[in-house]
Amino acid sequence: MSRLEPPRVSRRSFLSLASVGSFCAAMGVALAGALRLPRPTVMPGPVRRYKIGNPEDFPIGSATHLEKENVFIYRDGEGIYAISAVCTHLGCIVAQSAQGFACPCHGSKFDAKGNVVGGPAPRALPWLEVSRAADGQLLVLADNEVPAGTHFEV
Amino acid sequence: MKDPSRLYRWMLLAASLVTIGYLVAAAVRENYLADWQTLQRVYRRQLQAKATDDRGRVLLKNFRIELKQISVPALNAVDRCVSCHTGMDDPRMTDVPNPLRVHPGDILKNHPVDRFGCTVCHHGQGAATNFHDAKADTNDVFWDYPLLRGELTQSSCLSCHDVERLPREQVALLREGMELYREKSCGSCHKIGGRGGSLSLALDNEGAKTRHELVMTNLQPPHTTPRWHLAHFSDPGGVISNTLMRNPTVTKRQALALAVYMLSLWQRDVPASYLSPDKIEEKARALHPAPLSGEQVYRRYCFGCHGEGAYGSWNKSFKRFIPAVRGPGLLAMATAPYLETNIAKGRPGTQMPAWEAGGLQLAEITAVVDYLRAEAPPPMAQGALVARGDAQRGGVLFAQNCEGCHGMSGRGGMAPELANPTFQQSAADAFIITTIRHGRAATAMPAFQNPTAPALTDAELGDVLACIRSFGQHTAGAQLASGRVGGTP
Amino acid sequence: MATSAPREFVDNLRQLPHTVKDAWLRQGHLPESEREESQATFHNFFLHIHSVRVHLRTLSPWLTFGLGLMATASFLVLTITGVLLMVYYKPSTALAYESIKDIHFVVSTGRVMRNIHRWSAHLMVVAVFLHMARVFFTGSYKQPREFNWLIGLALFAVTLGLSFTGYLLPWDQLAYWAITIGSNIANSPRELTDALGITRWFDPGGFQKHLLLGANYVGEDALIRFYVLHVFVLPLVLVILVSVHFWRIRKDGGLARPEDPMGGPAEWGGAWRPVFEPLATKTYGLMALVKGKRATVNRGPENTVMSWPNLLWAEMAVFMVTVAVTLILSYYFDAPLKELANPAIPENPAKAPWYFLGLQELVSYSAFVGGMVIPLIVLAGLALIPFLDRQPGGEGAWFGTPDEKRVAALSCLFGLLIAVGMLAFTVNFGWLRNWFSSIHQLWIIVINPGSVLVLLYAGWSLVVLKRGNSVRLGAVALFTCFLIGFSVLTYFASVHRGPNWQFYWWPSQWPVH
Repeated sequence: MSRLEPPRVSRRSFLSLASVGSFCAAMGVALAGALRLPRPTVMPGPVRRYKIGNPEDFPIGSATHLEKENVFIYRDGEGIYAISAVCTHLGCIVAQSAQGFACPCHGSKFDAKGNVVGGPAPRALPWLEVSRAADGQLLVLADNEVPAGTHFEV
Repeated sequence: MKDPSRLYRWMLLAASLVTIGYLVAAAVRENYLADWQTLQRVYRRQLQAKATDDRGRVLLKNFRIELKQISVPALNAVDRCVSCHTGMDDPRMTDVPNPLRVHPGDILKNHPVDRFGCTVCHHGQGAATNFHDAKADTNDVFWDYPLLRGELTQSSCLSCHDVERLPREQVALLREGMELYREKSCGSCHKIGGRGGSLSLALDNEGAKTRHELVMTNLQPPHTTPRWHLAHFSDPGGVISNTLMRNPTVTKRQALALAVYMLSLWQRDVPASYLSPDKIEEKARALHPAPLSGEQVYRRYCFGCHGEGAYGSWNKSFKRFIPAVRGPGLLAMATAPYLETNIAKGRPGTQMPAWEAGGLQLAEITAVVDYLRAEAPPPMAQGALVARGDAQRGGVLFAQNCEGCHGMSGRGGMAPELANPTFQQSAADAFIITTIRHGRAATAMPAFQNPTAPALTDAELGDVLACIRSFGQHTAGAQLASGRVGGTP
Repeated sequence: MATSAPREFVDNLRQLPHTVKDAWLRQGHLPESEREESQATFHNFFLHIHSVRVHLRTLSPWLTFGLGLMATASFLVLTITGVLLMVYYKPSTALAYESIKDIHFVVSTGRVMRNIHRWSAHLMVVAVFLHMARVFFTGSYKQPREFNWLIGLALFAVTLGLSFTGYLLPWDQLAYWAITIGSNIANSPRELTDALGITRWFDPGGFQKHLLLGANYVGEDALIRFYVLHVFVLPLVLVILVSVHFWRIRKDGGLARPEDPMGGPAEWGGAWRPVFEPLATKTYGLMALVKGKRATVNRGPENTVMSWPNLLWAEMAVFMVTVAVTLILSYYFDAPLKELANPAIPENPAKAPWYFLGLQELVSYSAFVGGMVIPLIVLAGLALIPFLDRQPGGEGAWFGTPDEKRVAALSCLFGLLIAVGMLAFTVNFGWLRNWFSSIHQLWIIVINPGSVLVLLYAGWSLVVLKRGNSVRLGAVALFTCFLIGFSVLTYFASVHRGPNWQFYWWPSQWPVH
């Protein structure tokens, strides 16, 4: 019987704990580093930031269609906002209409704030972030959507 | 009994602790101590100091410490310069220390950073995120095009602009370089755009050369192309040991101007949307260039070897005597066709290139001949014509009287090569006879039928003439076949 | 007991930590007896490649120096860092170089990852090479381990192949020109077929080169082939071979070690007990008795200790030391990267990766002999060792049979003199073509410094074999000469060969172009 149940062994010691512990810690730190690697530190590709001019170019109550940037710029009492001119259905460029916007391709209709009022478009026209460039010009960041109603105060 | 694992446990502990240490050190180095992080922290303090109005506050709010880059696929550039040069396009940043300062001048107005990036003008390694690798101007960074700073950047303007239409202050050094190139007659030996001499390399793509395509043996490190050009213009022989190029004797600033011009000669693949309209017009004009005036041609393409032209000279490197092409002696008897043929066809086997292949238009050759003959003395009287005599007797006379200067079989030496095919072709018998009779004023060619002491009779003249013509028959085939040009580097 | 179902549900939810732990860990706690220790090894999926008990002598660092483990650890590190690098590396000639630059400058931990990958690749080649030397000098290739020796040679070749295929991926000047040389070495049989005039009908050189490059030049096709080989095919082959290699270690009875003295004590159950007979040198699986002497019943375990935890301590320690060394190197030294590959501007000197430099030196005398013949001869020679030296005795100890140390020392000297002498001769006096400029290439293929070196070494080893009256001694002589020759040639080609493969005393003397 004794050979089947040899005496208990206790090899636990501080050295064992410390070495295993430091091994796990080292592996943990390495893992943490490895997990950070796939996250991009800087986004590749060109950033769609458009300088569109100074605030004075957009008087209160104005509605400007910037054709090159595919965006509508509005200014009211609260500030400046930008609505994308790209239809959320299949990407055609919408035109301004009496109620707001209308897309010539498949008949999507939007109100003045970009909400869908008719047609196949699945969601509202996105509002784009407006900011300032370093030289003072207004900047439209077409890659950044903001909640509808966000105004940029000038 | 000895615990067999004790050693290993100690090893494991030590190695793990070392590993943790270095991993943490690497993490700190990468996430906190990088050049760009330190600088962006300083920049944020600047933004805070300048956040006195709406604009300043918005810029401060949106500022994040992160790697920043400008990606311009059309120019194949991803420039991370803005990670350190963060204040580059903020006009308020005039009083901050570099590299945070705003870009000098108003270049950015017409060259917005988002559309152009930085390296299209400044070169350097745009992908780098630290100064040493971005500047790439030392031998331990393996990047073909080092950073150009200050006025050196002007060399990039030529890629997209017709430089002569730009305001001169913006491209002053480059323009100076272009003008010096013409003034120093570099075109005598070098071609640009197919126009120029053939003694040395064509320079159309000189700016594209990397350090591996230039001879850096005699240059002290760092071996960069701008330094090479500077050294080369200051002392050509010091850079390339057995060069034919004479020292252009320029000041340091002029050498810099020439270097900038050389760097600008780069046939880059710039997308059409980036070319200035002036440039497109310039390219169109280059298809049918207006002919230069005679003096312009002479200054740009002849002066380098012939100098003012009144006197000939012995060139050590060519090992050949360069004739006086504006000397009164020659012009008194050389006809316009004679000069035109010699310029157009050159003197094969010598350093005088065939300028019709050297890019000169026919009208320009005519113009430069007119320029040469502008101050010609009245044509010399020819005297009685002499028929060709016996070449063998002439050979004896030639050996006695002519060989010393004109060389055996007329192959040249201190005096021109009489066996040269172009000479044989362009010089009429009368021309040869007259020259031997009367010599050539202001050169070493004596008169062999001086009225006071005629050295050669007419019959003897005829023999010498026949002998000289016989040289042409022997060498014509050999010269044209070998196509060698003497003294090519 | 009739518990209500909601109660049961809540109870089970609360017991979740315990029940999940019990489901996963069948033991649930660290082993507290030798039996549990043996179960920990035997019943674990990852650990059961280990034998339950391992011989004390084989745990000694001075026997193996942990070289095999170091190679395996390096491979593990390479695989992990390699997969991480694959997240950003783009295997196209237009994108590769830039992606490496991005990894170095921008990617989080990228610089260190790439450096680790590069330095552990070098470390793996070194470890594999030294491991082979260790196995040889401890006679651990002898029966029944001959096949494992062959697997090891195959692993050596695959390791070099992995390093070579990886070398091209950065697509910089170093990569491009090194692989240009490599592919031209593959093309070197042309030297022979051209000399015989048979290339038109029989062109193994061209075949090899086209297989490697997918074209006549090093370009996009070569890059993608090397990439596929490097990230998939060769690692797969290596993993399979390594698995067989480890399996054979088990089947061949564990690492080679000297026989325990008859009647001598053995450790068992915490005390030394006498041993009665020559011990079985094989562990046996419960499934089958593959080969061996006999099972031991009623015997003490033969000078062995439990694998759990002793062997595992050893493995973890070697793994961590490998990682630490690699990390230190990676922290301070960046993996080299030169300019973008430019076919118009050759590197001068264009050098193969360091482990092929010795070969390149030989290739500089004759491409075919240096590039194909000698490597094949060396591989064949190495492969034959366990089949020619079948005299048992001395396994598991360095220089286990008498006179081995002396023979090794003498061979060191001989090998050094011959290699250095040969190089000095060729540097000062040149070779056949310098003296007889129109000599037929076949003469040079037959008589060149490489073939002369091989012949002299082989001759020496035969002399030792005869005089020492032992095949093993002859093998020691030859192997030592091979090691020395390889080292001298590698050193010479690294340090003393400069632009145009001219001889220079020191790299600082290389002329600047």
